[in-house]
Amino acid sequence: MPLKHTKWITVLIAAIMTLPIFIGLIGTLLPAFQYFPPIGEYHFSTQPWQNMFAESEFYSSLKLTLITGVGAPLLALWLAFSLLAWGYQRPFFRKIETLLSPILAVPHAAIAIGLLFLLSPSGWLVRIFSPWLSGFVRPPNWITVQDPYGLSLIFALVVKEMPYLLFVMLAAMKSLQARETIHACQALGYGRFALWRKVLIPQLYPIIRLPIFIVVAFSLTVVDLALVIGPNTPSTLAVTLYRWFNNPDLAMRLMGSAGAVFLMITIILVLGGWEFCHRCLSKLTRYERSNGRRCGATDNLLGSGVILGLITLVSAFIALMLLPVWSLAKRWRFPDALPSKWTWDNIERATPLLIELTSNTLSIALIATIMACAASLLMLETKRKSMEESNKPTEQHAFDWLIYVPILLPQIGFLFGLHVLLIYLDLNGSFCAIIALHLMYVLPYVYLTLKGPYLAYNENYLLQANRLRYRPWHHYVSVKLAMLKPSLFTAFAMGFSVSIAQYLPTLIAGEGRHSTLTTEAVARAASGDRKQVGSMALLQAFFPVIVFWLAQIIPARWTKWRLAMKTLFKKGSPC
Amino acid sequence: MIKSLAAASITAALAFSSLPAQADWQDTLQEAKGQTVYFNAWGGADNINDYIQWAADRIKNEYDVTLKHIKLADTSDAVNRVLAEKTAGKHKKGSIDLIWLNGENFRAMKDNQLLFGPFSQSLPNYIKYVDESARQSITQDFGTNVDGMESPWGMAQVIFMHDTETLKNPPKSMPELLAYAKANPGRVTYSEPPQHLGVTFLKQALYELTSNRDALSQPVSNVDFYAVTAPLWSYLDELNKVAWRSGQNFPSSSEEMMRLLDDQEIDIALSFDISAASVQIDQGNLPDTVRSYIFDQGTIGNTHFLAIPYNSSASAGAQVVANFLLSPEAQIRKQMPTIWGDLSVLSYKKLSKADQAKFDALPRGIATLSIAELGETLPEPHSSWVEALETEWRKRYAK
Repeated sequence: MPLKHTKWITVLIAAIMTLPIFIGLIGTLLPAFQYFPPIGEYHFSTQPWQNMFAESEFYSSLKLTLITGVGAPLLALWLAFSLLAWGYQRPFFRKIETLLSPILAVPHAAIAIGLLFLLSPSGWLVRIFSPWLSGFVRPPNWITVQDPYGLSLIFALVVKEMPYLLFVMLAAMKSLQARETIHACQALGYGRFALWRKVLIPQLYPIIRLPIFIVVAFSLTVVDLALVIGPNTPSTLAVTLYRWFNNPDLAMRLMGSAGAVFLMITIILVLGGWEFCHRCLSKLTRYERSNGRRCGATDNLLGSGVILGLITLVSAFIALMLLPVWSLAKRWRFPDALPSKWTWDNIERATPLLIELTSNTLSIALIATIMACAASLLMLETKRKSMEESNKPTEQHAFDWLIYVPILLPQIGFLFGLHVLLIYLDLNGSFCAIIALHLMYVLPYVYLTLKGPYLAYNENYLLQANRLRYRPWHHYVSVKLAMLKPSLFTAFAMGFSVSIAQYLPTLIAGEGRHSTLTTEAVARAASGDRKQVGSMALLQAFFPVIVFWLAQIIPARWTKWRLAMKTLFKKGSPC
Repeated sequence: MIKSLAAASITAALAFSSLPAQADWQDTLQEAKGQTVYFNAWGGADNINDYIQWAADRIKNEYDVTLKHIKLADTSDAVNRVLAEKTAGKHKKGSIDLIWLNGENFRAMKDNQLLFGPFSQSLPNYIKYVDESARQSITQDFGTNVDGMESPWGMAQVIFMHDTETLKNPPKSMPELLAYAKANPGRVTYSEPPQHLGVTFLKQALYELTSNRDALSQPVSNVDFYAVTAPLWSYLDELNKVAWRSGQNFPSSSEEMMRLLDDQEIDIALSFDISAASVQIDQGNLPDTVRSYIFDQGTIGNTHFLAIPYNSSASAGAQVVANFLLSPEAQIRKQMPTIWGDLSVLSYKKLSKADQAKFDALPRGIATLSIAELGETLPEPHSSWVEALETEWRKRYAK
């Protein structure tokens, strides 16, 4: 992008982003120290903190949060690395790759409900073996879901996070010279897992560090997933905070705000600890990696990860397939493996919504995502320029960290602060406000997906084009962006599905006056009725799945289509 | 002296203001014309959403007021929004004109001056059809004085459900329930406090088990909480051990309990909606052998209400809506089991003969109890008990 004044643009973008984040933070910090005028609290004090530390549930929630919030990303990372090492550039793996997008597109709560139905004692797994094999005429009194150790929650998190990590890794592989490395290592006699472990993964990790951090932060703060499949006596800290915030006793919000601040600090500490452990681990294993042995005992770690990873993927799929079945069910009782009575009613009830709310949903998602793509390109270009000028390969910009703040913070307290800001600006309830809030949540994902490929782009193509004929803007679009098409489309699809899934931001910014498919689906699914949830999940997943699918087929065929169009028009025109 | 003078003058003012009530209401109707009322209400049930849509159509035709249903997953979303508006100093033109709520949410909003009013006692249909002495819960929402700050909409009472195929003679008291759970481990549960049905189960158990029932109508701070509730905790210690999933998990709502009943994971489900069983059977979510019943000593009942936030931009329109929803026409339709099945708040005696006949003619679902079978409701304890019970429960069982 032929930009001038990159410094100023950087400052401007950072400032625009800082303001809402700052306000959101203030909105969480003040009540945490007892300052909350609307309920008559005008004096600072540490009372909310004392109350929180006196609460025994706080400690058990925290423990559970740490176990699930660290365990899930670790597992997800291990399984994703294993699957990648096992299948990368093998023909059958392409198929698995295309199957990732529906999992990415389906909202978290829907996957959790699907898994709950798969795994619970009256769930589908027990049903297919009952009563002919297990002898269960009634479901056993087991604890297979919502277990007090959070194992089922960890599993659900892995199901959702592993595909995301795999997706990010596949995108990041494009900026490594993977094929050459694999050939060279194999020629030297390294086994597949050993070469990944010793050569490729250490190169890949730094590129995907941020996505991993997002996954860790997500695991620590997730509410909807944990509400459905997580334990509830006690629940994770995020769910406990959510309950405190929603408690009719408004004074509980003070304690909730203190908890939100504490959770933020926890996230920072966990991320710090994670990075520290990674450094230690890579120091410790450096000798082993460079000892020249062609295979090692830890290769099995990747090998077993493949099996677990496949099990995870398969159960995710079964869970996803069960939801549409529910939306067609009239009666489906234990121990029937399939509904005993079928109906179109559930679908019929959902379709008018689809028609009614499509324009709202699509316009919000499209505008927010296109803006996010444009902003990301702008930010990445300024970043590239300044990196070029300073000659430092890893210069960090303020916005590299700033944009992640919204997704790293517990939504509920943060959004309250933002809502107050919107009211001050008299923007509340407007369409623009919804788009702005969506942008905040979409931008990080779009930026992150684009960052690797964009910065890895070989600028020489563009230079060469401009040497032949100096048309910088034209070439930026027709050469650089055209070559980055696959990443651009993927980033768009990612942003789009994130925007579609937003519930609280839409409700708060729109004040409930602009309904989208998600606000409607979440409200209707509030009853937990699986038939409703099934049809609503279909509704919510409808557009993201299409967009992901388009993002995969369009870039590959774009040139062919463009050329076909060109010849068509050439034929038509007189010259 | 001064006090009594003040009281006298207030009484006089009240008497005076009731005279031109009719004229006032005409003004309200006039002001409401063309207004849009944003009604924030839980949107989890299709049948209720459809009922609200019906009311919206009727109100549009009759009063030229547009009613927009904002479907919420949780009423606290609306409370939060009003609070945020107050924080930002938006004391006019708020985003919410009418909320469906009761109990603790009402107390929180009333105590923090987030409500408009008093208005309900001057609604024509309230004056005409509501008998405040018929039920305590009309004037005391979970023990908090209503004071005209919210208008009654419907009544709820705790009912139990069982599948006659698996369980012929259901336990009809707390001790029987415990005995049943001990004989059938894992088949009994209740929803997780602070979910309101869960707290209600605790209150119901407390009513039956405590030796000091009178204490429950007073604020918790006035009584010895531990002495009053000790029998409850020793009861729950025993029950949780033999409860569903060994008391490690509790269902999150009445809907989840009905799902578990259908899946045959549990034998007894609870609901606050007396027609829940019939509605769910109709929707295919429960087998048609399920029946409702109540405990021998009666069960807890309460009223749910409509309130107007203090910064509503259409308070006249909201009053028109609240008034319409109190009309015999709206209340009869609401009580139809195929529509919603929610109990009317109107006094039967105050209705016209024609309306009484319509109420008499209402069909009942196969699993719905009649008013006579529902019997006397136990009053909700003072609202401060909710907080105290749920805190203590979480301290004991959720650590």
